[in-house]
Amino acid sequence: MGIDRRTFIQLVTGGVVGSLFTPVIWKSLDDAAIWSQNWSWIPRLKYGQITEHATISKFGPSPCSLMVKSVAGSPYVAKGNAENEMSKGGVDAISAGGAQLLYSPSRVKGPMKKVADGKYESISWDDAEKMLSEKLSAVKGQAGKLAIVSGDATGTSSEVLSAFAAGMGSKDCYLMPGDEQAAAVALENMGGSGQIGYDLDNSDFVLLVGADAMNSWGSVVRNQRVYADKRPTGGDIESVYVYAGPFLNSTAAISDKWVPVAPGTGSIFSLGLAYHMLNAGASASVADFADFKTLVMSRFTPDKVEKAIGVAPGVMAGLAKQLMSASAPLVISGSEFGQGAGAVDIIAASALNMLLGRVGEQGGMKLLADLPLAVDAAASRAELSSRDFAGYLAAVATDKVKAPEVMMAYEANPVYAMPQATTMAAAIAKVPFLVSFSTWMDETASIADLIMPNPHSFERFDDAQTPYGVGTTMLSACAPVIEPLYNGKSTVDVILSVASGLGIDLGYESVEAVLQAKAEKAGADWDSLVEGVAYVSDSTESDSLKFAASVLSKAVTMPKGGEIALAPYAKLNVGSSTMAIPPLNCVTVSKFELQGKDLFVQINGKTAKKLNASEGSTVKLSGAGGECVARVHINEGVMNDVIAAPLGFGHTAWDEFSRGKGDNIAKILTVGTEPGTGMAVWTSSFVSVA
Amino acid sequence: MQQIEFDTKWTMVVDIDKCSGCGSCMVSCQAENNIAPMEDGSNKLKTLTWMLVYELNNGKEFPERESAYLPRPCMQCGNPACVPVCPVVATTKDEEGGIVSQIYPRCIGCRYCMAACPYHARYFGWFDPIWPEGMEKALSPNTSTRPRGVVEKCNFCHSRLMDARARARAEGMDPNKLPDGWYKPACLEACPTGAISFGDSKNPEHKVHDLIKDKNAFRLLESIGMDPQVYYISRRDWVREQSDNHLPKDKH
Repeated sequence: MGIDRRTFIQLVTGGVVGSLFTPVIWKSLDDAAIWSQNWSWIPRLKYGQITEHATISKFGPSPCSLMVKSVAGSPYVAKGNAENEMSKGGVDAISAGGAQLLYSPSRVKGPMKKVADGKYESISWDDAEKMLSEKLSAVKGQAGKLAIVSGDATGTSSEVLSAFAAGMGSKDCYLMPGDEQAAAVALENMGGSGQIGYDLDNSDFVLLVGADAMNSWGSVVRNQRVYADKRPTGGDIESVYVYAGPFLNSTAAISDKWVPVAPGTGSIFSLGLAYHMLNAGASASVADFADFKTLVMSRFTPDKVEKAIGVAPGVMAGLAKQLMSASAPLVISGSEFGQGAGAVDIIAASALNMLLGRVGEQGGMKLLADLPLAVDAAASRAELSSRDFAGYLAAVATDKVKAPEVMMAYEANPVYAMPQATTMAAAIAKVPFLVSFSTWMDETASIADLIMPNPHSFERFDDAQTPYGVGTTMLSACAPVIEPLYNGKSTVDVILSVASGLGIDLGYESVEAVLQAKAEKAGADWDSLVEGVAYVSDSTESDSLKFAASVLSKAVTMPKGGEIALAPYAKLNVGSSTMAIPPLNCVTVSKFELQGKDLFVQINGKTAKKLNASEGSTVKLSGAGGECVARVHINEGVMNDVIAAPLGFGHTAWDEFSRGKGDNIAKILTVGTEPGTGMAVWTSSFVSVA
Repeated sequence: MQQIEFDTKWTMVVDIDKCSGCGSCMVSCQAENNIAPMEDGSNKLKTLTWMLVYELNNGKEFPERESAYLPRPCMQCGNPACVPVCPVVATTKDEEGGIVSQIYPRCIGCRYCMAACPYHARYFGWFDPIWPEGMEKALSPNTSTRPRGVVEKCNFCHSRLMDARARARAEGMDPNKLPDGWYKPACLEACPTGAISFGDSKNPEHKVHDLIKDKNAFRLLESIGMDPQVYYISRRDWVREQSDNHLPKDKH
């Protein structure tokens, strides 16, 4: 039997139909698709028991209580801890990637010393401590020879550092700049004690003057959670928010009203409102009320205020009326970028709270009692907060103060994050022996003579007390979630060990013992704290304050006008003063802030025309201490004659996720001195544009 | 294609008026779904952002300018444009709850679905995912890693739905009638301003059941008939107006 044409077609057809019914082909194709994606270099998932542990992260401007989920002991995701009053279940955009930051390429993996040609050599902890001890023993007991700066305003670790400085005979223990500094100086001038707090939770009308509560002011995550609770989705608004500032930032965007106010003029704005309140009969039983009233009624009349900050009298009068008719109004003032504001901004806003009768009231401004110190020789929180590190460095830069022999930076990156950064970095460069305790290879660590890395937040014992801005005294603490991945050592343990060798008795032998003692003295239960529950106390100080009219009279000056003002802003997703752009956050950066390596600053169309700039054009901004190059984005959410510029870019150290991206706006901030208080301020920075 | 009507409809409601654009949702999404960090995050054509926050404004000049932020996950459309165009059935809408699946090993990377999606919610992996050394130890066990060359997208953190169902079974409950709050995507859990609500919009006991009927609730591009399972709420007229290509006299 031969194969004819018909048989051939039948065979082919039969084969095709048969193949359609056999799974072999489809299974093979499916397998081919799967196996063609099964490359050895694509990481495989790790499985195991899922656990959750509470911790605190200090990556952002204020501490955030977290629940960290781990698989087989390895953390992989962080979420807010709803049981903790300090951050009320929220998580910030840095902490959300906290687990991935454990493996950041910028982690310092062990102690290192600088050797010739600026390179680093790994050394043992014993050698590192010996090296530090030798340097410190040479300056012990000599004032001005040791300076310490801490970027942790809430931890008991800063108590240990300030007590150690005292034991060494140094008064130069500082905190990195923050709004708590202006608040502490303001409170001192108003005759109060404790710490200024704001009961946002119970307020029904919140006026934020400069203070960017959703990004950089106070306890940011908590602010966000309170905002969320007071404005339930689909429900009635229980608290009205008004933002006054130079830039339509995200706080302004989600507020009910944005009042454009020139940068660094918050005190004028507040006193302008006080004028309308006083006119409407507001008063306060305070010794210097008459002086205050005379000052406001003569120097902050509606026309003068409009001329100075550009807010129309009608807007001011309307806002004053709203404040006076609200049942629980609250005025909060601060820097637009979390640092550099003057004490007068806080004093002027406090004056409004006093005129409204809101000091010490529910939903008002509170004077919170400090928790007892754990370390006897430590400076009080008020004292430590009020010390002026920017002023100190500026004096070192100009040789008014001799540079210390040893400087130690804890949780701080002053080489990058200080205002007028180039000048301040030059001041730090004068220090013969710089020690960095940074977890990360930041700008300060990368010029330090000795690096003694503190473990990552998830790897260490830590605590946080009453972050600036919250309305009640509180304390949180945490134990390690994971064993240290690298050869880090708690800075507190290092200091305790070195202090002991130098004959300074700080009273404790380990960080855990210090933190437990803090909890015990505060009346908190340590076990509850490390399980993630915050200790909260309603203990407050006397509500008796004065207007500090004499300080206001000296310190509040009207701007000259006609210049281009800088309005820096800080966004949490970009990092903080201690954290560069984390790896997972790169994609969250707006195209209006960074494209490739180009930084963008924002100006409105009218200002662009004045500066002869257009969308995407390149400008050079010059301040008193440096220059920045950026491109222009036209944004009508910026005031006339103002340049809004994002902080957090232009890193020169760290890793590929942040290094070399954009420019550091801190370079063009101009540090001045506030008349009346003498503290360094830099919210009124002007730039020339070329 | 006939639209399947499920008894459960997992629905997200985003309150635009509360979103501060902080980016926590985006970061948390990447951690939960094993999206590798990208060095140049500004190249928005190459980045993988299952959840992406857009910035909106009212188009007016200073001082009348207002702005808002709009987080955009996959809309999990009731009538998805991406599903019928997939030549290899790598994306389907066939599971109770209405989540549009994406089966990575089956995807051949043709990107028809990306072209079809009117919300730009789908992403093509142009590069192999590379984690910095050691960071692969922080991979989530919930989402498989993907090689380059496939399309990926938000799936409302589907593994969390599986976990919630497993919990319901363990507690002797109906896994298709989960109580409100048992199933929460990572973005919701991370959002500090509480802008994201989530639940079964067909279950009267879930908050979103009522939220989607709010007078200020709307969906993106409703006029093209995708029937998204993501709703937005805003009191601001100009925000609602931008949700679709409206004619000037349309009511919003």
